[in-house]
Amino acid sequence: MISEQDIRDQLKRIPYPGSSRDILTLGLVGEILTQDGTVIVHLRPSSATEEVLQHLTGRITSALSAVPGVQKVTIHAGRPRGAAAQSAPIATPAPTPLPGVRRVIAVASGKGGVGKSTVAVNLALALKALDNRVGLLDADVYGPSVPLMMGTEALPRAGQDKKIYPVEKYGISLISMGFFLDDQSPVIWRGPIVMSIIRQFLRDVLWGELDYLIVDLPPGTGDAALTLAQEVPLSGGVIVSTPQDVALLDVQRGIAMFRQVNVPILGVIENMSYYVCPHCGEREEIFGHGGVQKTGLEILGEVPIVEEIRTGGDVGKPLVVQHPEHPMAAVFRQIALRVMETDTGAVRRAQR
Amino acid sequence: MTPILVTPIEEEKLLRILWDDDQLSDYPFAYLRGWCPCAVCQGHGGERHFIAVENPQLVGVGLVGNYALNPRWNDGHETGIYTFEYLRDLSNRRESQGENPVKG
Repeated sequence: MISEQDIRDQLKRIPYPGSSRDILTLGLVGEILTQDGTVIVHLRPSSATEEVLQHLTGRITSALSAVPGVQKVTIHAGRPRGAAAQSAPIATPAPTPLPGVRRVIAVASGKGGVGKSTVAVNLALALKALDNRVGLLDADVYGPSVPLMMGTEALPRAGQDKKIYPVEKYGISLISMGFFLDDQSPVIWRGPIVMSIIRQFLRDVLWGELDYLIVDLPPGTGDAALTLAQEVPLSGGVIVSTPQDVALLDVQRGIAMFRQVNVPILGVIENMSYYVCPHCGEREEIFGHGGVQKTGLEILGEVPIVEEIRTGGDVGKPLVVQHPEHPMAAVFRQIALRVMETDTGAVRRAQR
Repeated sequence: MTPILVTPIEEEKLLRILWDDDQLSDYPFAYLRGWCPCAVCQGHGGERHFIAVENPQLVGVGLVGNYALNPRWNDGHETGIYTFEYLRDLSNRRESQGENPVKG
């Protein structure tokens, strides 16, 4: 005879990974059946991942095999079969990450006109220059500027099952609403359409294997930003701002948005930080100085007003690819390195 | 604050959450549903009220991004997005304040 108490005692000694609590206390163990020498343990459907369940199955099997009288241990994990399957509540494990995409990083700003897309494009290319596989998702559906800045108007190819291939340029994968619109047509859409576009850009684009997916958000804290935060587990947010206090007010909203949806803020990039006069070499702080410091967030980099950054965007050859030797390209690579440093996986790869 | 494990326990009609600081919280289905924060249940603005629903049955619960849970109920209701912060608050208030209204 197998004693059920013995079995429970054993299960009580198995902690859940990452916790001091045991699997019995957590309610993970459902029905326990014993018959002759066989023990059948049902694990309730929960948010536990496949990996954790496998680990626990191993632990349970070896723990119970030691119980007197036990010859065979069977563990049913996951969804129950038959009638119970309809009624049993299922907890979905972690928000479905994008398959193959290691990190999703959102580039946001509290308001428009701070050079967010310029920064996003150059950051993506700087990450690429540092040997990462990079995608760039232009989530600014109302005013998509990535195609112009990247110098491509290619139409994405259709794949199977209504999927589409991203456009490739300068070694990175791109998707943008701009690829599907002509220059004249205005985008007059309500929230639900914007939400479904963002969802499709995330789920229906064949991104393949990426180290970083950079998402260029539209200005402000609207539908696109919220949808992105709800659809995928964001690894981090980067905020772009100009130095003056007025922009900063909007930055606070951007910061609050990321905090509210529990997305770690990697830092602020101060754009149009200053201007160096090409004639006399004097540094002018047109928009003032010190505003971004007041946020208390890490400053990932200061990007001055430089003509080559602007023209690079206008002609579709961003500074980082057109003038990799330019001091500002180095600034973007520095920012990219800081972003990589926040990612333990990247550090590990770099050490290899 | 983030959940490590979310387990609906049907027999006891409750949702059990293990948090990353090792706190364990139990949410009876009726309690959880009554405090649904969505605009359909609560309207807009003002205090949140407990909206009693008879014998609600949880049919699923999904994660929303990095920050919230979204339970689905047997009457088709699924508009509630419970932020982790709100869930912790609900758990802490459960014994002390039960069904008293809270500031939205």
